[in-house]
Amino acid sequence: MKSAPFEYLVPASLAEALETLAGHQDETKVLAGGQSLVPLLKLRLARPRYLLDINRVPELSYLELKDGRLHLGALTRHSALGREPSARGSCPLLAEAAARIGHTAIRNRGTVGGSLCHADPAAELPAAMIALGAELKIDGPGGTRLVPAAGFFQGFMTVDLQPDEILAGLSVPVAGPGTGWSYLEVSRRHGDFAIAGVAVWLSLDDKGLFRQVGIALAGVDDRPWKARACEDFLVGKEAKEEVIAAAREQLAGFDPTGDIHASREYRELMAGELFVQALRQAVERAANNL
Amino acid sequence: MTQVTGYIGRSVKRKEDARLLRGEGRYLDDLNHLKPKQVAFWRSPYAHARIKAVRTAEARELPGVIAVFTGEDFAPVKPLVTEIQLEGYVAKPQDPVARDKASHAGEIVAVVVAEDRYIAEDALELIEVDFEPLPAVVDVDAALAEGSSLVHTEVPGNIYYRGRRVFGEVEAAFAKAELVFRETFRTSRIAGTPLEARGCLAEYDPYQDVLTVWSSTQIPSILHLKLAEIFGMHENGIRIIAPDMGGGFGIKAQIYPEEIIIPFLARALRLPVKWVQDRREDLLTGVHARDHRYELEAAVTREGVLTALRLRMLTDAGAFSSFPFGCTLEATGGARMILGPYKIRNYEYDTIAVATNKAPAGAYRGVAQPSCFFAIEGLMDIIAGKLGLDPAEIRRRNMLSSAELPYTNPIGIHFDSGSYGESLEKALQSARYAEVRGEQSRIPADAGRQIGIGLACYTEISGISSKGYQSRGVADVPGYDSVRMRMDPSGTVAIYTTLTSQGQGHWTTFAQIAATELGIEPDQVRVVDGDTGLAPLGTGTFASRASITGGGAVFRAAREIKRILLRVAGGMLDDLPPEELELGEGFVRARGRKLKVTLREAARKAYEIRSGGSETREIPGLEVIAYYDPPPSNWSNAVHLAVVELNLVTGFPRFLDYVVVSDCGNLINPMIVDGQIQGGAAQGIGEALLEALEYDPGGQLLTASWGDYLIPTALDVPEMKIEHITTPCPSTEGGVKGMGEGGAIGALPAVVNAVNDALRRSRCWTGVPITRAPVKPEDILRRVGAVGAEGGDGR
Repeated sequence: MKSAPFEYLVPASLAEALETLAGHQDETKVLAGGQSLVPLLKLRLARPRYLLDINRVPELSYLELKDGRLHLGALTRHSALGREPSARGSCPLLAEAAARIGHTAIRNRGTVGGSLCHADPAAELPAAMIALGAELKIDGPGGTRLVPAAGFFQGFMTVDLQPDEILAGLSVPVAGPGTGWSYLEVSRRHGDFAIAGVAVWLSLDDKGLFRQVGIALAGVDDRPWKARACEDFLVGKEAKEEVIAAAREQLAGFDPTGDIHASREYRELMAGELFVQALRQAVERAANNL
Repeated sequence: MTQVTGYIGRSVKRKEDARLLRGEGRYLDDLNHLKPKQVAFWRSPYAHARIKAVRTAEARELPGVIAVFTGEDFAPVKPLVTEIQLEGYVAKPQDPVARDKASHAGEIVAVVVAEDRYIAEDALELIEVDFEPLPAVVDVDAALAEGSSLVHTEVPGNIYYRGRRVFGEVEAAFAKAELVFRETFRTSRIAGTPLEARGCLAEYDPYQDVLTVWSSTQIPSILHLKLAEIFGMHENGIRIIAPDMGGGFGIKAQIYPEEIIIPFLARALRLPVKWVQDRREDLLTGVHARDHRYELEAAVTREGVLTALRLRMLTDAGAFSSFPFGCTLEATGGARMILGPYKIRNYEYDTIAVATNKAPAGAYRGVAQPSCFFAIEGLMDIIAGKLGLDPAEIRRRNMLSSAELPYTNPIGIHFDSGSYGESLEKALQSARYAEVRGEQSRIPADAGRQIGIGLACYTEISGISSKGYQSRGVADVPGYDSVRMRMDPSGTVAIYTTLTSQGQGHWTTFAQIAATELGIEPDQVRVVDGDTGLAPLGTGTFASRASITGGGAVFRAAREIKRILLRVAGGMLDDLPPEELELGEGFVRARGRKLKVTLREAARKAYEIRSGGSETREIPGLEVIAYYDPPPSNWSNAVHLAVVELNLVTGFPRFLDYVVVSDCGNLINPMIVDGQIQGGAAQGIGEALLEALEYDPGGQLLTASWGDYLIPTALDVPEMKIEHITTPCPSTEGGVKGMGEGGAIGALPAVVNAVNDALRRSRCWTGVPITRAPVKPEDILRRVGAVGAEGGDGR
């Protein structure tokens, strides 16, 4: 298990990275934390001619609260989401989701940007970002464009990113009064890919009605799956058990695949169970937060 | 209670840990002092295919490539033949590199030697092989079906081995049986997958005509003899060294093609050559195990006493009969061990090892004991359930009592000592059995969680002797072990042993034995293992044998040194006879007198040929070789008790308690024994809940990484309460019994029985127990109707 030959490029700035990328385009893979790419290289499933290591690009490493949102550079490590007080305090959903990613060593190396661009349908952060309504900042030769997370994931491990572009970072809303959240997941062992996962980010108004609801599922479709119908159903309704149960009835349209770890039927069942449990937990937290 | 004699019976800290825990171990991958060339293997992508042509010209031209070999190049090498002297066994020679056809995915077709592994793997991509795919046989039923494609033409009907025996009056017992129970139990193909995979390094010195092979192997002596035979070399021109090992679990107790190829290349190229196995190769080609089916039929009285048992056992041997234990290992193991601690007098088995186009099966911790006790212990619970008996009670009614020992069971296995009933009662007590049963009954039948208790009572074969291997027809496993022991002139001791260490802690336990016998400190004893250039020949470390066979040899060697030492010391102490001397705390003292010499002075004297030492003995020095071939086989026993809570919404079990009561005779180091139990049970829990090597219908392995082949992590393994009963073995040196595999034996039945026990409490239970491992969460939900029945696999 040794990778095929490649040329290793280490840009020192975002401009240099983009320039290099523009020159080599399709023959280049961007290396961030390497937790998915390196195994693919070792198995020779990925065999780029150039490997562009962005770990030393300073513009991609930031974590700050600004204008009521949490801004994260693409190189933010998973472990930082739970460790950094500003991230954990302002966006606890990310900390909760990140805790389910792999193991400590993986969380210390793996990056937020890498997880989103790799776009494994069972990964935690893509679903969490959709639930949060994250806004992705993509840099390319034409400048910067902003893409909502829900539009970024286009198919099985396919994202809205051109070969000459780099995901530079993203921003997510921060918790305020009435905010509730939950990330729940079923996997064979802790750290394995989700059989099913549910991310919820919502807020209640002072009457106990759903003001805003974001829900996304992991592991049950060819991409992280936004439960749009359920979100629409819930907004404006009272946050109570019967409504949650009714929302579950609206949960349909995703298309899980069975494999050696879980059948399609089991994934569907778990998606529904976790949906209810995650909504309950998020509502409870929101109520405590009012 | 643990018997303490000197250092024996004490939890002495492991001598090897200071080094290993600091990351200073020297594993095969660390051995680069020879700057070896690196090897990569071109492995068959087909489970079954005729090899029409292998084209290597382009690969040879890649810069950095030293040589490329194919099957034909290995024509001078004698094929590996696993000889098993049992009726009904068919031997099939195995070439190290496939020549005419590939018989399983991963079989080696070509070999590249290059400056480094990267280049070697680049060269693999330049090799082209023309295959004619043949139908792949990937399960035992298909393999046994009439007209099935043959894995090898030399193996008719794909039956590598079939053994049928009847003991006692089986037919009569069934004829007058009050009740008859039939059940089929299946275990999944699994892998031992040690953290350090295998590897091999070889160097040939033409000047001395010596081939030195470093291999991550549990059987250096057996490899030594086999390589001499295969290469037509003198045994004295070979040295095998097993360096530090990161686990073995039996997987490294086989001789693999790579261990023939790498030394062959070193001789052919006259270059040091090395190969380190990667995880994909480990899962694809390391011996697999436990692809078993037990079809049981039991004659039972209304009181729950088993009067007769019939077994039809099928094991999936894979493509080759692995060396040295053969594909009969699991088939005879399951059939012979299944009676366990139970006094079933009438027994019949029909056991078949079936050839398929999968990687060969072989030895993995416990061999067929986890699966045969999974079957019999599962059956006990099913019978108890039908008869309204408590699972503990049905076991009491069938179990041998201590008063009935010694006992010879119908197939001739002799149990000389044990504590079957005592172990069971102690486990029940330790787990507060009655209380937990009460707690369990207070949970409503329609609750989303249920508690279950699972029991596993078992015997464990250990320290198999030369006679023991002969009785199972294993021709190439000697059965004895040996040590060369030297007390230095300064009184310190070196032990060179035929055993290897892949986690057992022999540096410590053997030192404890020698230190106790010689009245010195364990720190004054150095243990050197796994080097056939330094130790005599013997067998190796597997099948729970080292404490018996290696420990026994250490006992004997130490006593012989003591004997010489006392004679020499006697010459220094008024010519006192040895019986008036005693050894201890670094001195030889005259009993009841003030006379003494230091052990160091006596040792030095033994080496002084001219000044008196030689007068008391013809040969100077304090160096001896001792062999130990134990009594035919030795049996420890244990009970595992698992308490699980099932979440009937997700299907996930959670451990509430886990108790092990073990009786392995005298303990040398209780801490090490507990560690063995814990590690073994962790593997058994993996087997019960997680592990399965899955093949697709074409014979492709779907679980070729640790991402898909799931082994338990620390989070999946509960804390265990481990207790001991000590019934010393009357026949082994030191009264010890082996126990290295036991943890893995008990966990599978205990955990699955606990899951079934919890399921039975649920109102939604379908009435069908789980009889197949591993148990996935959805298998549990299927048993309460939350997930629909699926497929025809009996899940």
